[in-house]
Amino acid sequence: MTEKIKLYDDSKCTACRGCQLACKQWNALKSSQTENRGTYQNPPSLAPNTFMLIHFQDYVDDKGNIKWLFRKEACMHCTDAACVTVCPSGALYYNKETKTVGLDHGKCIGCKECVAACPFEIPRYESRTDKVYKCDMCESRITNNLEPACVKACPTGALKWGLKENILKTASKRAKDLGGDAATYGDKYVGGTHFMYVLKEKPAIYANIHKDPSIPWSVTIWKGWLKPLSLLAAGGVLGGAFFHYMIHGPKTPDAPNDGNDAGTTEGGK
Amino acid sequence: MQKGLIQVTDSYERIVHWMLAISCLCLCVTGLGMMFQSFNFLGIIVGGLKNLKLIHNFTGLIFAASLILAIRMWWKEAGVFVFPEDLDWIKTAGGYLWHVDKVPETGKYNPGQKLFFLTVAGCGVLMLITGLIMWFPEALPISLVRWMYPLHALGFVVIFAFFFVHLYLGTIGNPGTVPAMITGWMDRAVLKKQHPGWLKEMEHNGTLIVSGEEKKTSHHA
Repeated sequence: MTEKIKLYDDSKCTACRGCQLACKQWNALKSSQTENRGTYQNPPSLAPNTFMLIHFQDYVDDKGNIKWLFRKEACMHCTDAACVTVCPSGALYYNKETKTVGLDHGKCIGCKECVAACPFEIPRYESRTDKVYKCDMCESRITNNLEPACVKACPTGALKWGLKENILKTASKRAKDLGGDAATYGDKYVGGTHFMYVLKEKPAIYANIHKDPSIPWSVTIWKGWLKPLSLLAAGGVLGGAFFHYMIHGPKTPDAPNDGNDAGTTEGGK
Repeated sequence: MQKGLIQVTDSYERIVHWMLAISCLCLCVTGLGMMFQSFNFLGIIVGGLKNLKLIHNFTGLIFAASLILAIRMWWKEAGVFVFPEDLDWIKTAGGYLWHVDKVPETGKYNPGQKLFFLTVAGCGVLMLITGLIMWFPEALPISLVRWMYPLHALGFVVIFAFFFVHLYLGTIGNPGTVPAMITGWMDRAVLKKQHPGWLKEMEHNGTLIVSGEEKKTSHHA
C-alpha cells in the first residue's frame, strides 16, 4: 500500500504563492481579473479555476503582537470523504494507490451535492460547464511517481509529499520541535486527511479554518439511513400487499341481491 | 357504453391525476438513477446521467404544476376530515385489516384516501421546496442547504412506499375501481361497496349521473 499525504508547514511558508501558480499551470487553469483589496491574498477565495489558495492573515495575539499568518487552503482529501459518499455518479472517487480523492469530470453531472456535503467547503461549481472543480492532488502526476505540482514548486520545503507513515512522523516531530502552540491539523479528522498541516499557532486562530470538521449529520442520515430505507420501505409495502391479498383478500362488491340496486356485478365473494 | 354505470370523475380530474402520477413516477425513476450508483444505468437510456438530472429537474416543474392543480381540486373533498364518521371508519381500519361486519359509511373519500391525499400533498410540497433549493443551492447558506438532501430523501421514502400502497389498493386490492381513473364510469355495485355514503348523498342531491339514463332532476332544486 502506498497511501500518501501532502504536508503544509506554515512555519516554513513565505507565502511566495509559487504553489498557486504551479497549480494553475499544471491544471491549465485560467486566471481571473481581480481587484486590490488591501491584501496579498489573491484571488480572494477558491473558485472553479482556483483549486488552492494561500490565505494571508494579520493576527494580533493577546499581548498585542502582530503576527502574519499564512495557510494553504485546498481539498483535504479525507479518508472518509463526504463528497465521495454523496456523489451520485461516481465522479468523485478514492485513488486506489494513494487514497487521495480524485474527480472525473467526464462523470460529473453538476448536481452540486458535494458542494453542500464537504465539511471543509472546498468544491466549487461552475455553471458554464455545469461541473464541479477541486484539487485532485495532481492525480496525473502522483500516479506517475511525481509529486503534486504545488510541492514541486515550493522553494522552502513548506510543502512535502510522501508515504503516510513518514509524513505523520515528520509532522508530529516538527510540531514538537516548534513547541508552544504548534500543532498538526487534519490527521485527527474524518478518518485522517491526505492533506494536512503543521501550524505554528493554535489551529483555531487561523481565519476560515474549520475547527472540528466531521461528516455532516445530514449526510449520515441521508445516505446512511434514508437511502437504504427507501428500498426497504417499498419492498415492505410490496410484501405487505402480497400477504394482504393472500390472507385478507381484496374488497369485492356484494352480490346484487339487495332490492333496488340492480346494477350489474361481476365477481364478488 | 354499458348501461347503469355511474360517473365518478370528470375528465379534468382524471387528466390532473395522470399528470401528477406520470410526473411523480418519472421523478421516482430518474431520482433512483441518481440516488443509487447501481441504478446509474438508467441514465444510459437518455444519453447520460447529466440528462437524467435535467429530466428530473424539469419534470419536477410539471409535478409542481400538477400538484397545485390536484390540491386545489381535491382539498375540499379529501383534505379535511369529517367527524364523527371518519373516526368510526378509522376505528375499523375501513375493513381492510380485519373482518368488519359493516364498514362505517363516509363521504366521497374515506379517511384512508384522505390520508393518502394529505401525505402526497404534504410530501409533494416538501419535495418541491427541497428540490428547488437543491437545484439552486447558492441561494441559501450551506448549513441550511445540507438538510434539504435528507428531507428530500425522507419525502422519497414516504412517496415511494405510498406509491405501491396506492397501486395495490387502486387495482387488485379493490377490484372494479380502476375505471374510475380511466373512463370515469364505475359499476354501481363497486361504488355501493366502496363509497355507500357518497352514493346515497348523490342520490339524495340528485347529482347522480347514470349512463343510459337522463340526468335525474333534483327534487330539491
